[in-house]
Order: sequence, then C-alpha cells, then structure tokens
Amino acid sequence: MIRWFLRGVSRSRVTTCYPRGEEPPPSGFRARALLNPDALDDRDAATLAAACLPGALAVNGGGNLRLDGSRCIACGLCVDGSRHGAVRMDPGYELATRSRERLVVGEASPEVEMAPSTLAGPFRRSLHIRHVDTGSDGAVEQEIAALLNPYYDLHRLGLFFTATPRHADVLLVTGPVTRPMEEPLRRTYEGMPEPRVVVAAGTDACSGSIWTAPEVLGGVDRVLPVDVYIPGDPPSPIGLLHGLLLAAGRVPEAPAPRAKRAASNEGAAA
Amino acid sequence: MIVSAERTVDAGALASELEHLGGRLMMLFVAGGLGDHRQLRAIVRSGDDVIMVRAPLHGNVYPAVTPRVPAAHWFEREIHDLFAIVPAGHPRLEPLVRHPADEGEVKLPEEEDVRLEHRGAERLAGPGVFVIPYGPVRSGVFEASQFLVQTGGEDVAYCAQRLFFKRRGAERRICEVPLGQAVLVAERVSGTSSVAHALAFSHAVESLAQTEVPPRAQAIRRILAELERLYNHLEATVRECEDASLAVGQAQFAVLKERLHRLAGATIGNRYLRGAVVPGGTRIDLDTGAVDLIGSTLAGWEREWRRVLSILLRTDSFLDRLVSTGPLSEQDARDFGCVGPVARGSGVDVDTRRDLPYDGYPDFKAAGHSEGDAMARMEVRFQEVDASLELIREAVGSLAPGPIRIATGPFTRDTALGASESARGETLYWLEAGGERSVRSCKLRAASFVNFGVFNRVFDSQVLTDFSFIEHSLGLSPAGCDA
Repeated sequence: MIRWFLRGVSRSRVTTCYPRGEEPPPSGFRARALLNPDALDDRDAATLAAACLPGALAVNGGGNLRLDGSRCIACGLCVDGSRHGAVRMDPGYELATRSRERLVVGEASPEVEMAPSTLAGPFRRSLHIRHVDTGSDGAVEQEIAALLNPYYDLHRLGLFFTATPRHADVLLVTGPVTRPMEEPLRRTYEGMPEPRVVVAAGTDACSGSIWTAPEVLGGVDRVLPVDVYIPGDPPSPIGLLHGLLLAAGRVPEAPAPRAKRAASNEGAAA
Repeated sequence: MIVSAERTVDAGALASELEHLGGRLMMLFVAGGLGDHRQLRAIVRSGDDVIMVRAPLHGNVYPAVTPRVPAAHWFEREIHDLFAIVPAGHPRLEPLVRHPADEGEVKLPEEEDVRLEHRGAERLAGPGVFVIPYGPVRSGVFEASQFLVQTGGEDVAYCAQRLFFKRRGAERRICEVPLGQAVLVAERVSGTSSVAHALAFSHAVESLAQTEVPPRAQAIRRILAELERLYNHLEATVRECEDASLAVGQAQFAVLKERLHRLAGATIGNRYLRGAVVPGGTRIDLDTGAVDLIGSTLAGWEREWRRVLSILLRTDSFLDRLVSTGPLSEQDARDFGCVGPVARGSGVDVDTRRDLPYDGYPDFKAAGHSEGDAMARMEVRFQEVDASLELIREAVGSLAPGPIRIATGPFTRDTALGASESARGETLYWLEAGGERSVRSCKLRAASFVNFGVFNRVFDSQVLTDFSFIEHSLGLSPAGCDA
C-alpha cells in the first residue's frame, strides 16, 4: 500500500480548472457541424441533406439548409461533400442547452421562451445523479465514468452518483430509448423526489440519432420532459460537466450557434 | 475471401454435419429471404478453414443443433425469436432477444406473428433461497443489462442473465441506409469498439467488391485498432481496481486511459476514433504532426504504464480477489465458442489478427494463459497492451506515402464475411449483396454475443462478492451483444 501512497502523492496535479477556467478542445476535434451563415443557400443543399445519416441536415421550406444539432453525430461526411463550404466542423465542448429548439440552425423559428429555472435554487451547491442507460452504444457510459477520473474529478464540484433514484436530483439518461427500457426509465423517474431534473446525454438520447423505429422510441423527450440536452457522439467529459452544471444553474448556457451570425442576415437570425 | 469452402446439407442433417466438422461455430443464422428460400447458414472454423454450411429449410421446424453443438444455444434462440422457426429439441427455447414490450410493435419478417411464451428465468426453489434482481437500471454507471442472482446468502447458486434491452435494430439499419453511410451504423453498434466494428464491416464490403486497401490505409487502420484495444484493456483494469477498492490504482489507470482518449481526439477528432475507417481505406490521414504526437505520447505512456502495473502486480489485496475467481474451463470455452481474452485466458488460442489476417498485420504470437480465472483474463490483457504498443510502433514505421482510400467498385460477389479482432474478441459481419452497390441482408456478431453465453457458467461455486470482479474480467459489451 505504501507504494500506492507514494505513487499518488508523487504525481503532479492533472485536474482541469473547468468551469473556473477554460479547457480548450484540440483543434481538429469534431464536436458538431456548423452552418456557415453566408452559405445557407448552398447549391448542394439537397445533396448534403441526402448525405446526412441521422437527418440532422435537411432542406427547409425556403430551400435553405437546416441543421438540427440534436441529431448531428459529427461524422464529417457533410464536410466532405460540401463543395461550397456550407458546413464545417466545430471543436466546441460546451454544447448543452435547456431547449432542443436552440440546437436547430437555419429555420425561422420564434425565439424560445425559456422557463425560469426551477433547479437553480435548490441545487446550487450539490447534486446527486442517477444514470439510466436506455440503449446507448456504451461509449457515453465510459465518458460519464471518466468524470470521476483525476482529470475531471466530479466530486470537487459537489456532484455525486447515487445508487438509488430515491436520493437523486438528476436523472442522466443515455441512449435512444428502446422499447424494453421505456418502462424502467419511467419507473426510475417516478421513484425520484421532486424537484427533479432530466438530462439527456448524447445525441442518441437527445433525438434518437441514427436509430429509427420500430426498435427505438427516438429520444428521451418522447417519454419524459427533458430539462437539459447534451448533444455529442459521445459527448466529451467537459461537455457532460457543462450540462450537469447547467442543470444545477451554475453555468450559463452557451450562446446558440446562430447568435454568432450577422444580424442583417434574415431568416434564421436570432 | 475468408470463407474457404461451402457445402449444402439438409436442415435435418445440420446438427450432425456441424458435429462432424468440429471446430468452432462462429455464426448460425437465417438468410435467403422469406418462405421456401430461407436457409440456415452456419459458419464454422475447422482447422485452418472457414466453412459455410447452407441448410435449406422446409417449413418452420428443424432439429436443433444445440444438443450436439452447445455454441449454437443463443443463435438458435435468436432464430426462434426473430423468424418463428423452431429448433426442435433445443434445451431452453425461451425468448432471448425479444422482450414483452416488443410484442406487436417489432414485427417478425413473416406475415404471421407469433406470441412468444415468456416464462421468465430458470428459478431455483428451496428454504432460504432468494433472488437478487440486478438491473436493468444498476447501481453505478452501467449499461442496461439484468442479472438474476439466485443465492442462499453467500454462494451464488445460479446467475441468470437477461440482455437485449438495448436492441436497436442495427442489422436492419445497415441494409436500409445508403452504402456510404452504413459504416457509421456499424461504428455505433458497440461504441467502445467502433474501429473493430467499422473494420469488420469494411472488410465484408471490400470482399464483396474485391477491393484491395492501399498500404498506407492498412497501417493507419492497424494504429487505430491497437489504440482502441489499449483503452478498452485499460477500462477493464480501471474497473477491476475499482472493485478491489484500490482508489489510487483506479485513478492512475484512469489517467492513463484518459490520455489515450485525448490522443484519439487530437489525431482523429473523436475520442472513440469514429469517422476514420471506411470501406476502401480510411477517411482521415495521419499527418506528420499526428504521427509524432502518437509516438511521443505513447513513449511516455508506456513508461507510466509499466510503473503502475508493476505496483498492481505486487498488491496482494488486488491479486487475492482475482486469482481463482470466476474460472472458465478450457472445455467450456471451446464448447461455447468463446473468443478474445476470455478464450485466450482459458488456453484457447484464437486471435482473428493471426487466424484470418487482415490489413497487413505482421505475424505475431497471440497472448495466452491457461488458468482460466479472472486473473488469467487480466494477464492476457496486460500482455496484449505490450503487444499493441509494439504493433503501433511497427505500423508507424511502415507508414509509406500513398493514397489512403480507393473507391470500392460494384459488388462482384454475392455474399462475404468480414472479420476483425476487437478488444473483446472476434467481430463478424456477414453481408449479402442486393445489387451492385447495396446490401440486402446483414448479420453481425459481436464478440460479447458469444462471451455472454458463458456468463452463468463462470459463477459455478462463486460467492456474491465476486460478482463484479467476474463481470469486469469478462469485459463484455451489452451494446455490442444486443446490437
């Protein structure tokens, strides 16, 4: 045991300073696709939409590209097929949002009214998390487990995993909700005391992603009211941290991608 | 071309044919459309050959293979669930892949729908015997799977597993989507074995189109496949340390694992190496910067790994929990067709990288152990970490300039089998061409599908507190098994 002790104390600190400081992603990291504002009327719109497996890229009523970030698996096939640079890959980590509509770019939708957070008050200090897998590919679970490693060290932020839904504040759901998991998911939710928060982690959980009926229901919000969406395939540990802190009302929501666009560009402008 | 011989027998004679062939049953499934064209297909590894046995079906009943070839037990239950074909004489023909929730929603391919009889797991009865239902929502962060541990208090009398909560219909999805996107589905069958699944699928497509992958792409594929093996083996080590309450060990191995994911994110753009392997080569090239990063990261990584591992192997509290825990006999491993570290830990020498060579893997000696306990399976993984580091160095050295991808031409074969060795073992994709550029049917078999089949056997005379040690030493992926 003394060897482990010496080993432990002799190592330098690796823990991220997030969320107090920045944790920049590697430049080539593919977190999500983004539409270039001036290329929304890409001549290849239909081709790009056809090349998108989960249906994140589509052609909207006006013949322009529409990007649903809750479906994007960041595979990059659209970038390969985009001759006019309509789509690019973005390395950002902080993708979580409290409304699925905010993940959609390129459609003239009314600004979503955000309900005041019911979570910020009771949960500011500490959160207990109950995880449920409803048909994920297995990688999201490992990214969630990675939050406990010294790089991310979830406990320093007062976040803990709990074995029973009775002690949980947050229900962290991964996977597109397969039919056999619908009932266990509901029962776990019903076992939680109020107030409670549902977090959909990963593109599968946000929208069903590449999976279609009949085996899956397609996204956690088909079964439960979802409070926070964390897109990503799988979401990175920092992305998960951001989503959990957002659920606790401890960090602000990252600006929606369309907010970066020039205000003069009509249509999808916020 | 992996399948070296084909033969056709009557469905009634399939069991005796498979018993006569001996060897390892790799797959057993139904192909050939509906009605009278349906046939059973068995793929068997016998000696150095891979033999495909076709058995045309007449009607909905055939004599079960399982009584003679135990490895067929889950395959036949799956066939019964999905095609309403009855393997007569199967010892335990209850639903495997279909849940009560699926009834009426997930249709069988036949027009007729059958109501399956859900009898529940086998139950022991007696004074003091009780059942601990564990899952599908388990304590901690785990994938959905259920275990019914039947115990009198300490000894595990019987452990029944219930899987397929996560069935997402990957095989059907692969056939539905355009060929260029199907590899994305394969990558997401088992998210921690994305490269292995993408490779097995790509090998099948390349075999259908008779395409040769350029040497540079082969080297990149080997680098990615071995990186993936490294972080999966580290995951098993982290989990075992966690079970042994070895907090510092858990943290140290988790740091090593995290570094590999960061390396993957920085070079490929995805922490699980997705989006790189495609039929015909790779989509992403490793430039000089990426190659240097891999070399320098792994050099430091290897030093750290050796130091921490040497402490682990001298920690009695860890060794005590793994040695002689969850033994799997060589006979069971052979009978049930186990693959990967589970088989190699029990003295069964199977490794797809050597047995069915692909992507220019050099000749190498597969890791092996004969004890068959949890420690043996972990030691196989420890040896494989060293082998993987060596293979990556070799592949980096052989990265010659050249193309990384060539277009796969129209399909010139009707069917093909693709294989790769994931960290969990042999991964198989069987594809049937439906045209020059489309796939009509797909059957995939992840390593976990066969390895889960021995789960209850390794609990023979084990105690309750060993559960997680045994589970993590098997290193199973419910997502891959359920597909």
